Amino acid sequence: MLNNNKTVLLIDDNVVDLKINSKIIKISNLFDEIITCLSGEEALAYLNKTLHDGGKLPDFILLDIQMPDMDGFEFLELYKTLPNRLTDHCLIAMLSSTLDFGDIKRAEASLHVIKLLKKPLILKELEELLKKYFTR
Amino acid sequence: MSAPNVRVLYIDDEENNLQAFKASFRRQYEIYTAISAAEGLKVLQNIPIQVILADQKMPGTTGVEFFKSITDTYPDPIRILLTGYTDIEALADAINHGDIYRYITKPWNDLELHNSIKNAYDAYKAKIDLRNKVTELEKTNDELNRFIYSISHELRAPLVSAMGIVNLVKMEGLYNSSGEYWSLIETCSNKLDYYIQKTLQYYKNNKIVSENSAVDFHSLIPDLIDLHTYSDKETTFTVNIDQKEAFYGDAFRIEVILGNLISNAIKYQKETETNKRVNVNAVVRREAVEITINDNGMGILNEHLEKIFTQFFKSKVNQGSGLGLFIVKEALNKINGKITVSSNLAEGSTFKITIPNAK
Repeated sequence: MLNNNKTVLLIDDNVVDLKINSKIIKISNLFDEIITCLSGEEALAYLNKTLHDGGKLPDFILLDIQMPDMDGFEFLELYKTLPNRLTDHCLIAMLSSTLDFGDIKRAEASLHVIKLLKKPLILKELEELLKKYFTR
Repeated sequence: MSAPNVRVLYIDDEENNLQAFKASFRRQYEIYTAISAAEGLKVLQNIPIQVILADQKMPGTTGVEFFKSITDTYPDPIRILLTGYTDIEALADAINHGDIYRYITKPWNDLELHNSIKNAYDAYKAKIDLRNKVTELEKTNDELNRFIYSISHELRAPLVSAMGIVNLVKMEGLYNSSGEYWSLIETCSNKLDYYIQKTLQYYKNNKIVSENSAVDFHSLIPDLIDLHTYSDKETTFTVNIDQKEAFYGDAFRIEVILGNLISNAIKYQKETETNKRVNVNAVVRREAVEITINDNGMGILNEHLEKIFTQFFKSKVNQGSGLGLFIVKEALNKINGKITVSSNLAEGSTFKITIPNAK
């Protein structure tokens, strides 16, 4: 129902979590294509390259908060400066094992971020979120 | 009996007095003198003075006025006022505004003055020592808190990955593929996660400054019940909320308190009970909110009632961490709340909490 040729971009420095979450999404069949990046820098490079090539841009980004060097919030700052044809159509959910109210509020106050999802990623929560935002 | 490194500043408009003071005390103290308040200030700007003596009656700025003027800029040195006459009004003013340690009438008695300076220096040292100790303790406390916080986060990240793997195992239909091993791993992971979450709650309760905001019990209590019944649908909740008044309080701590009590009410049910039930009643008044949480669970032994709020107390019958009620009590302490409990093994337990309305 949701999957009509949609692409998701996963950004997480933790290889294990990246593997788990790609697998969950693959089984769920929510997206056609799954792209993974191990850092915010790598993700920005990927997005810039795709924007330049005219390739398929992601419709949804799952962004980990706690990453070395560039954390999730820093990534968002740079993401904001990317062209509208990406940012207008792409939604972001942040992902974290935090239980910190401050982080939750801060994440959900950011432009483009629709929700902070807690790790471990629960398929049902992800499905409900996507249903809410992608149903047309 | 000498204490040569006590730095004393003496301000007096009469040069004779300054000379006499120097003559009497130059062996005991490191002495600085000034002929006016302005000169005195210059000395203070350059030398870390520990004891200041000032004459009250000086042209321009009086001793009291001088002490008042430096209360914020030089709060540490101990002040002694010298007065040639017993001017009660000036003294009262001095003690109220200038933070004066002693006053001494002129002409002074050498022994009396010496003792006063010595005592003043002791007071100075005690003040500085205390401040250093407080800073040191604050730092240690802060470091300990931060350590607990970051270790909990660091521990939780890989644990959460493990929980994610168990979820994946379920999704792929492999959960029962190796006997009960996966379910055992899940139980262990959940238990460890519970401990970590309680540790974080404890840390936050200690650390976070209480902030009052509007609390709507009509939405808070059902939300908390939903959250805790997520994995257990067997218990029936009856909720009665009477909130006509606005309530202001520390939303974070109220959530912690109610969350723990609700989760306990679910956790400590009798296994054999077919009609597991919990009643939650909340009545909001102008002065306070009163909430009772009553269950028909296993109850608490009479001799345990006094101990349930202590850290790491757990009864033998079940799987508690010994942290939940301890955190409840700690959180209530921070917001001046109260808790009482009545319980017996036949009927279950009733916890009653009262939290003042900060409106």
